[in-house]
Amino acid sequence: MISQEFDFHAPTTVAEALDLLAANADDGKALAGGMSLVPAMNLGIARPTTVISLNRLSELDYVREDGDVVRIGAMTRHARIVRDDVVSGRFPLLARAASVIGDVQVRNRGTIGGSIAHADPAADYLPVVLALGATFRVASAAGGRTIAAREFFQGVMATALAPDELLVEIELPLPPPHAGTAYLRLARLEGSFPLANAAAVVDGGPATVAVGGTTAAPFVLEVDDPEALDDVERAAREAAVDAFPDLAATAEYRRQMAGVYARRAVEAALGERKGG
Amino acid sequence: MRTTIEITVNGSSERLEIDTRQNLVGLLREQLGLTGTHVGCSTGNCGACTVVLDGVTVKSCSVLAADVDGREVTTIEALSSGADDLHPIQQAFVANQGLQCGFCTPGMVLSVSKLLEENPDPTADEVRHAIAGNLCRCTGYQLIVQSVLEAARIAREGAPAAA
Repeated sequence: MISQEFDFHAPTTVAEALDLLAANADDGKALAGGMSLVPAMNLGIARPTTVISLNRLSELDYVREDGDVVRIGAMTRHARIVRDDVVSGRFPLLARAASVIGDVQVRNRGTIGGSIAHADPAADYLPVVLALGATFRVASAAGGRTIAAREFFQGVMATALAPDELLVEIELPLPPPHAGTAYLRLARLEGSFPLANAAAVVDGGPATVAVGGTTAAPFVLEVDDPEALDDVERAAREAAVDAFPDLAATAEYRRQMAGVYARRAVEAALGERKGG
Repeated sequence: MRTTIEITVNGSSERLEIDTRQNLVGLLREQLGLTGTHVGCSTGNCGACTVVLDGVTVKSCSVLAADVDGREVTTIEALSSGADDLHPIQQAFVANQGLQCGFCTPGMVLSVSKLLEENPDPTADEVRHAIAGNLCRCTGYQLIVQSVLEAARIAREGAPAAA
């Protein structure tokens, strides 16, 4: 039993959820899959007094191709992303990231929107959505707006979302047809958050590599010459100058691994490029 | 806050008044007396509280009871009515010493039952990935994997091996 008393709401439409968020902007907390929030409530670390469950919002559970973008509803669970043909065909690195989150039970319940809005610095999706140049669609009772992934992550579990805003959709532009992509992670145990993770998109010209798990917010680098792997590694190591230490790894180790995983992700993406 | 939910547990419909602070595992154990679902870490790590929710395994410590209104839950109690009526997966765990203290076993068995539904002939590696969310603190993984492979073989071939 959770010690903190709270009011519980389970709206069945997004509009209703947004009204509830607006009415409870001070103390309301949106609950998606709950894989981080409910354990934190069990431990008394998170003590919301109003919980707005999104688990009845089936309108936010989808993966759709729409011209030159793919749209993923925020309440799409990891297990669906792993199995979705559009995702694995268009964004194998996203399917890969989803497939290594937690474990079977966590993937059955956790959602892509929940993971992104929670913004754990080591979350598997973060470097992937950054490297792919995702845009997030957010909504509030007052209206809606879009936020580029690169503007969204601001620190440890800190994002550009206002208290009354809800992340409703992840919009991913299709990579160029011959692009190579990769997602890699360093974790000591299956199911652990990674100590470092990196995603890369390479398309003949400059490359994009994003690194998570080492700094308060994941970072993105544009790489002029992806074949110059030593430069990629050095640039990522320097970008991770403010790497954080914890019980699992020192700051210096994380800085080194930021470089190593950026390098390996770019190298792997080069190998995935189609038709040179 | 109190609220009323309707859920189907192991095939029977229940209408229950609950405290919204209750987790699904607390609801099962404390209100329904289904103590086969265990409480380990309460942080979604150990998997002792694994149940099947609408056809997929979840960790019931990390699901609010209020959030299962209208849903269907299956617990370990659905697999067997007692020691004389063990499910084939449970029999394989007994025959291969796939349990020591037994605390993780109900969650382990439910994870395995979903694995074998989807993949009747798993490799040892696939078994290990399928039970990655179920921790055995006795560290009896070798015999657990052996039990699962045996259960899969029996399910495919129908005849148990000689003891």
